[in-house]
Amino acid sequence: MFDGLGQLGSAFLGFMNPHTLFNVIWATFLGIVIGALPGLTATMGVALLTTLTFSMPHNEAIMVLICIYVGAIYGGSRSAILLNIPGTPASAASTLDGYPLARQGLAGRAMGISTSGSWLGTLFGILCLALLTPVLSELALSFQSFEFFWISVFGVVVAGTLAGGDPLKGYIAGFLGLFIATIGQEPYYNYQRFAFGFTDLAGGIGLLPALVGAYGVAEVLQAMRGPAVKTITGTIDSVVPRLEDVLKYWRTIFRSGAIGVWIGILPGLGEDAAAWSSYAAARRASKEKEKFGRGSIEGLMAAETGEASSVPGAIIPVLTLALPGSAPAAVLMAAMMIHGLNPGPNLMLESPLFFYEIIAMLVIADMSKLIFGFVLVRPLIKILLVPRERLMPIVFVLCVVGSYAITSRVFDIYVMLVFGLIGFVMRELKFNMAPLILGLVLGDLLEKNLTRGLVLSSGSLLPFFTRPVCAVLSALTIFSIIWSIPAINASIKNALRRAWAGGT
Amino acid sequence: MADDAADLLPHEQPAPPRADLVIAVFCFVFGVAASSLAYRMPTYTSQGGELYTAPGLVPGLYGIVLALLGVWLGVRAIRQGALNAARAQALEAPNRIDRRLALAAGLCLVFVVGLLGRMPFWLAAAIFVAAFTIIFEWQADQPWSLRMRQALTAVLLGLVTGVSVTLVFEKLFYVRLP
Repeated sequence: MFDGLGQLGSAFLGFMNPHTLFNVIWATFLGIVIGALPGLTATMGVALLTTLTFSMPHNEAIMVLICIYVGAIYGGSRSAILLNIPGTPASAASTLDGYPLARQGLAGRAMGISTSGSWLGTLFGILCLALLTPVLSELALSFQSFEFFWISVFGVVVAGTLAGGDPLKGYIAGFLGLFIATIGQEPYYNYQRFAFGFTDLAGGIGLLPALVGAYGVAEVLQAMRGPAVKTITGTIDSVVPRLEDVLKYWRTIFRSGAIGVWIGILPGLGEDAAAWSSYAAARRASKEKEKFGRGSIEGLMAAETGEASSVPGAIIPVLTLALPGSAPAAVLMAAMMIHGLNPGPNLMLESPLFFYEIIAMLVIADMSKLIFGFVLVRPLIKILLVPRERLMPIVFVLCVVGSYAITSRVFDIYVMLVFGLIGFVMRELKFNMAPLILGLVLGDLLEKNLTRGLVLSSGSLLPFFTRPVCAVLSALTIFSIIWSIPAINASIKNALRRAWAGGT
Repeated sequence: MADDAADLLPHEQPAPPRADLVIAVFCFVFGVAASSLAYRMPTYTSQGGELYTAPGLVPGLYGIVLALLGVWLGVRAIRQGALNAARAQALEAPNRIDRRLALAAGLCLVFVVGLLGRMPFWLAAAIFVAAFTIIFEWQADQPWSLRMRQALTAVLLGLVTGVSVTLVFEKLFYVRLP
């Protein structure tokens, strides 16, 4: 234990230099701005900055990305409160009570609740990350290719089922992502799949240009299509959080924190599902249900705590199973791979210090977010007033730079454009993007583990179903798919209802 | 509920069954094409390789799954009335919002295909940002003095973006620019 505390201390000390702290300041600020601006999301921010921080040392680059991630999830609440438009999908639940509070002249108090809830939520999530990651890593060390194959399949299927929207379209998006990941040279014979004689295509589809396109370019197109937004810019009351708000709703904070971490751990669900679930749970348990949706302090606190705690929650499976808990965490995992780190159970063995560095990064990002929460009120309102006609071309220029940055191939810019179009069309057709991202990120791992498993078992499929963890994961995967068929879902629910009624 | 639906923007309305049917057909054709291409890939069994390490196995499986999901989506869309939906729904004239979208996409394409690589990056970025801003801020009923002021601001914004992106990413992040 003391060894762990010592490593944590040295991780903190390693970041206490002017250069790193300067990076923390600009990255958190940029993250909050990205989150606050409707149309720009945390995933886009992390994807873009992954490419732009490529030349940095790995711990500094990951620090920047975590600051962007933590900042963007928090920043979304500003536009939710002031514009009634969630800056990121994660802040959608915050509009329900944040905007009514702002309309009552309590915008400052709402921002204070958002800041305190978000800060405490992330801290709670960090505590869970520190406690759960070593245990899960230990457990995952016994996993072989068979288990990792099912973990990847389970991730894509669960993201399709639960990430929101139509599960069937979620599966299509997930398998499309998996398929795209097979383009280019395969690992065993270096055979060029689906390259059609193009050398660039034989190198495969770059993950980050694809992500920058699917999120950045698609969001630029969507933002230019929608109507302009108007902000509440009257006098803002004090943004300093009230201690009584925190003490009065401590149960809500703990409940929402736990829900956020749990949903964060589940593959692909992300911060928006965490915020909605925390909000719904708080409403069910509240003594002031009638205030929800009309400016409830408790409702806003629950949504903010839930979404913020799911950020460290989503990083837990990245570090232990190489399975991202949300779309931004998927990009973060890709960034770790690009920087030569090996997310998954071996990370704790190969780079134990990195685990403590991640904790330190999250704490530093959270503290930085707290400070910006107090000082960024007026500047953020000014930024929210920048017209999209001036902002979006700049975002597009950054997308172009970002997609070109890693390999300096013009082909990657075209990949970004194509994926921008695919992302835009898929959103228009009500596809959830999280399963596509998970498919893209997990495709390589899934194929390697399937083939390796088949080689180990000399082509037998039995170990994929008979090993205990495989049996559980395969059953859960199949159950998720069956559950998403409306007719079967309805008949199971009816049967349960009848059984319940018969029992009582 | 109906009021909620009326409040939604055109692109926020639920996808109609006809659109789902089109996706289903695309998904099925794509899945079948992917599987058939995967089937034609070499298996390397003649060189001692095993069938389960064949390059086409995994993409072939994905292709089959995509084709099956396409069938599932297609059947569901037909049950929801995709074949009976009014043809006019799919053939609506493009509205103002769609024109904005086409314009934004067109300008982005011109920047990538027409400007990048033909001039220094800072200049290409400056021209793109300025042109994008001027075109989207242009309104028919504006006085010329306001238009000129906006155009000047847009040119300034473009120059600042081009120069600062070039300096920050080349000098600070050591990133190569296209």
